[in-house]
Amino acid sequence: MWVFVLGDMVIFGVYFVIFMIERTRERALFLGAQRHINTTIGVINTLVLLASSWLVARAVLALRSGQHRRATSFTYAAATCGVAFLAIKIFEWHSEVSRGYTFGRNDYFVFYFALTGVHLLHVLIGLIVLAVVVRELRHPQTCRVEIVEAGATFWHMVDLLWIVVFALVYVMK
Amino acid sequence: MKLSRNARITAVWAVLSVVTIASWLLSREDRSHGRLEPSTSITVAVLAIGFVKAMLILDEFMEVRDSPRWLRRFAAGWLIVLWGAILGIYLA
Repeated sequence: MWVFVLGDMVIFGVYFVIFMIERTRERALFLGAQRHINTTIGVINTLVLLASSWLVARAVLALRSGQHRRATSFTYAAATCGVAFLAIKIFEWHSEVSRGYTFGRNDYFVFYFALTGVHLLHVLIGLIVLAVVVRELRHPQTCRVEIVEAGATFWHMVDLLWIVVFALVYVMK
Repeated sequence: MKLSRNARITAVWAVLSVVTIASWLLSREDRSHGRLEPSTSITVAVLAIGFVKAMLILDEFMEVRDSPRWLRRFAAGWLIVLWGAILGIYLA
């Protein structure tokens, strides 16, 4: 899992650097366009994902003390946060698209939708991963700790990447 | 005061949430003037906060802190190269 996670971090890293280069070339455009997205929603989504990561971390700790049911509850709660993130994101995109700020509107929005879109795919994959984690946890006798820990690592990566997206796309001036 | 692992994870989460809100409030500072201007000081602060958040997630949530040296180095390298590049390009 770590090989995949590190690879993904590098690939996203390249996207982030390309974003910065384009941003530097069109500073005024990016700064102006940024005003049309809802940073408050961005903050809420960041807090939601941070909470989900905390819950996943608690789940792993619960598993390590043999508390499988508790770990399962934490994982369900984390997945709920993930679903909330998706719902908020779709609401956010809808609000932008309905105001005419679509993917091709300008270079900022190409990056905005591309970065948040690819990230959203990772959230979806992450939810499948958490489902696999829950399946492991629900059978304490055969529960493979490595699977749970690998799943947790993937989920934290989704959170980690969002932290960068939030800083670059929503907040930096 | 030595925290249990659970308490430590929760403390980390609290810090992450607080600095997220802090960076958001900082970014709103430029709005009060209604001008469309970049702000170096706000952005440098936001990027520094981003670096710290990423480091905390890697070290504490992803447990890189307790991982083999190659992984600790890779994570540190990723943090420094990425945020360094972001900051460098921004300031260029």
